[in-house]
Amino acid sequence: MQIDIQHIAKLSRLSIEKEKVEKFQKEMENIVAMCEKLPPMDGDYTSVDPSNPMQLRQDEIRPSLKRDQLLQNAPQTQAGCVVVPKVVE
Amino acid sequence: MTAASLSEKLRKKECSAVEITRSVLEQIEKTEDKIGSFVTVCEEQALKKAEEVDRKIAAGEALSSLAGIPIGVKDNICTKDVLTTCSSKMLYNFVPPYDATVVSRLKQADAVIIGKCNMDEFAMGSSCETSYFKKTKNPWDPAYVPGGSSGGSAACVSAGEAVLSLGSDTGGSIRLPASYCGVVGLKPTYGSVSRYGLVAFASSLDQIGPLGRSVEDVANLYEVICGRDPMDATSAAREYGAFAQKINRSVKGLRIGIPKEYFGDGVEPEIKAAVLESVDRLVKEGAQTVSISLPSTDYALSAYYIISSAEASSNLARFDGVKYGYRAKDFTNLIDMYEKTRSEGFGDEVKRRIMLGTFVLSSGFYDAYYKRAKQMQQKIAQEYAEAFSQCDIILTPTSPSTAFRMGERTDDPLKMYAADICTVTVNIAGLPAISVPCATASNGLPVGMQMIGPKFSEQMLFDAAGCFENICGGFGVAPSVKA
Amino acid sequence: MNYEMTIGLEVHAELNTATKIYCSCKNAFGAEVNSNCCPICTGMPGTLPTLNEKVVEYAVKMGHALNCKINPVSKQDRKNYFYPDLPKAYQISQFDIPLCENGYLDVMVDEKGNTKRIGVTRIHIEEDAGKLLHDESFAGSLVDFNRCGVPLIEIVSEPDMHSSAEAKAYLETIKSILQYIDISDCKMQEGSIRCDINVSVCRPGEPMGTRCEMKNVNTFSGAVRAIEYEAKRQIEVLEAGGEIHQETRRWDDAKGQNFLLRSKEDSHDYRYFPEPDLLTIVIDEEKIQRLKEELPELPNKKLKRYMESYGLPHFDANLLTENPDKAAFFESCVEKENCKTKNISNWLLGDVSRILNEKNLVLADTSLTPEKLTDMIALIEKGTISVTAGKTVLEQIIFSDKTPEQVVEEKGLAQISDTGALSAIVKSILDANPKSIADYKGGKTNVIGFLIGQCMRQSKGQGNPAVLKDLIEKQIKEG
Repeated sequence: MQIDIQHIAKLSRLSIEKEKVEKFQKEMENIVAMCEKLPPMDGDYTSVDPSNPMQLRQDEIRPSLKRDQLLQNAPQTQAGCVVVPKVVE
Repeated sequence: MTAASLSEKLRKKECSAVEITRSVLEQIEKTEDKIGSFVTVCEEQALKKAEEVDRKIAAGEALSSLAGIPIGVKDNICTKDVLTTCSSKMLYNFVPPYDATVVSRLKQADAVIIGKCNMDEFAMGSSCETSYFKKTKNPWDPAYVPGGSSGGSAACVSAGEAVLSLGSDTGGSIRLPASYCGVVGLKPTYGSVSRYGLVAFASSLDQIGPLGRSVEDVANLYEVICGRDPMDATSAAREYGAFAQKINRSVKGLRIGIPKEYFGDGVEPEIKAAVLESVDRLVKEGAQTVSISLPSTDYALSAYYIISSAEASSNLARFDGVKYGYRAKDFTNLIDMYEKTRSEGFGDEVKRRIMLGTFVLSSGFYDAYYKRAKQMQQKIAQEYAEAFSQCDIILTPTSPSTAFRMGERTDDPLKMYAADICTVTVNIAGLPAISVPCATASNGLPVGMQMIGPKFSEQMLFDAAGCFENICGGFGVAPSVKA
Repeated sequence: MNYEMTIGLEVHAELNTATKIYCSCKNAFGAEVNSNCCPICTGMPGTLPTLNEKVVEYAVKMGHALNCKINPVSKQDRKNYFYPDLPKAYQISQFDIPLCENGYLDVMVDEKGNTKRIGVTRIHIEEDAGKLLHDESFAGSLVDFNRCGVPLIEIVSEPDMHSSAEAKAYLETIKSILQYIDISDCKMQEGSIRCDINVSVCRPGEPMGTRCEMKNVNTFSGAVRAIEYEAKRQIEVLEAGGEIHQETRRWDDAKGQNFLLRSKEDSHDYRYFPEPDLLTIVIDEEKIQRLKEELPELPNKKLKRYMESYGLPHFDANLLTENPDKAAFFESCVEKENCKTKNISNWLLGDVSRILNEKNLVLADTSLTPEKLTDMIALIEKGTISVTAGKTVLEQIIFSDKTPEQVVEEKGLAQISDTGALSAIVKSILDANPKSIADYKGGKTNVIGFLIGQCMRQSKGQGNPAVLKDLIEKQIKEG
């Protein structure tokens, strides 16, 4: 299976160095070939399982994090917010 | 020394919690350079906690079985105010403002968290060699890998740098290193231990589990961490009783299923022989064997890599340099920041898995890969259910081989993935499985044996493993750490 | 114009639950930046979502209000894309099994009461993203995560609308329903209700054209402008011999134009897959039924009823049914059956509204009761007090516990309607204003207003103006 490494990398927000592209390409193709060993399966797939329903949470407020704790790991902050490169809408 | 015996000493006041912690810290001091189990050693916090335990003992308080026991915690489990890196450059400086639920339970049980254990980066690996910080060595022979991804968790217990540890298992990441390092490791039933605070790799497969030197110790730790957590919607709504005290070390009448697919060409002959010989010993104690088949085992690795990578590609997308962790230094715009941060912050194995996951979920490929893998998952679970109608537990080798040499498989991802062939089906089916040491191979390294049970049958696994432990006269032989 | 336009609308409404959809942080607008956040809604490693029960209940209620089939078994899915205001880099939403499907809404499309049925394809639940703040002076953008995890329902309509007016009517009806069943406060200026618009054009009788999606429409009148602009744009392209390609465009209301945001080739590959951190949502039949029974009479039904049963014009009925409290108050007044329904409507929509707006209050904040209001109106209808006196009484009864009768007595507002007493006043005014009499006789009949005013002054405002008018006219005629 021919994998479009550049396209997949872009979707994943990764960039592969030029020198490594060929190696990655080969490795990915081998791994995908392994994955392709799966035979076609009959029937349909649904992830829904009504026999195991989810317990829902009560709508009760719990304390939030203090802002300085929230931002303590942020690479760059300003005016109580996280800073990112300018986003053009 | 096991946790059980140390706990006994504490109760009898034959030693103090501080003394226990200090002696473990000394062992770490002596051993860490050679083994490298830890990313972070929590000396100050550990001693503080030990002092607290001693105060409680002096005040005559009744304490849990884990009080004062030094425990290592895998570095993908969040510990409040203590560095949690997942052994990745991406989280090299991440200090969580919260504890994982299992960590809160450890603290409530007055356990002493001695350090954060090294691992394969983001739990992706079978040898602990993809860690950004260091390569942990196998305490039995430092030229060999300890296994992965919970390599540090297994090594620290094996080398006496901790009495117990917590690891995580997605495709074998507790059982494999347990078997390579000659310790006991349990991957619990999916949903029996809260995942809140475990940095997610594959959400539908991940479970936190205990590693230790004895079955009783592992059962004690499991007892403390298991149970419904309202913060984890996938944690099962059920009551759990005591486990350790109820261990019944008998296999009389136990039907042991031997699946032919796990004793085929993919497994080294010496391993097969060792495991089958252990089965004979169990039969002598009253167990019966049943030949069974798990026909879809051949497809398990494919299904596993599709499902786990798909979920991982989504779970790791949050590492984008915006609000925590590593951010690239130079970039021209937002997309450039994302790409540089993620390319510089992640190692190659992580990138491979992210790309595989993105690929199988991408437009046009979902049906051929992800959907098919999920259908295979249901089939594998079905086959196990059928097998369990004929037997009580299923017994296999934990891995096709013993530990391998450092660097031996790092150039070939598929060769590395092959270490998981005996363990992945268990995660796919959400079942519990325990790995116990069953022999020493001709290369001097431990061989591990795996017992798999139906969902929520941990007690039965402890019983059977406990019986085997008795037969062996205990697992507690720690290797001499080469000077 | 020989083209038809087809419009489909996707409305996003923030629900007014106490907590966010997947964590227990406070769900509130306008807080200081990053003060209502926790590890879960900011996507910190290791955190997991837990679904808020109220969100499911509110979505089901809206499903009932829009005549949908409620799915008793459904799930959530991940929608993956990278953006700074999306901390997990995926949004938890619903892909193929939404909570509600296949509904409709009967929307009133003109003032005569004609309605049109607009199909509702689905309603699903999802989480909102954070906010990006920009400033000309600042080199970067700032991220405020407060809004991350605020619960949203997305209401998707069938492409059943064929004019901007229909679209506006649909939007306004959706908004009033959301407010009526009290699941969203729908403050457009706070962004708690937003819509994306799909527009296509085609020649009559031909198959539907390719649609374009427009984002960033923030007001209902803006929606009308956006639709008109886009239909025109597409027609111009087609007339020039071009083709319409599926695109996402961004509406700029200030400029009155839209701009290309994403072409189909650049469109996101969201790589949807079922959310593994959440289990199946199961709602039992009993609960589904109970939620249906809890619904009040919906505003669009009320509107029709007010027009038909009370004979109120569309304009009045619309204003009265605008919010449930006003409508309930109105209905309580009507039930008293002691004055004319139209007068109740006039007073409520007139002076009462004015006073409330001036002081920025709602009815519940005041001492006005249906009893007090209708008693006052009855006094006017009987002629006991004048309309002007009524306004004075209103001020009093809104802000104090006094009854209308008490106020009339205390302030001596009772009108003099007795012709005997008033005749004397009329005579004295007429005697003092011979020129006015002459003007009146000469055809300037509106001078009677001045004369009535003078009589009113003389009577200290207590003369019944209708009676005075009669007397003046009579006395002038009689010379």
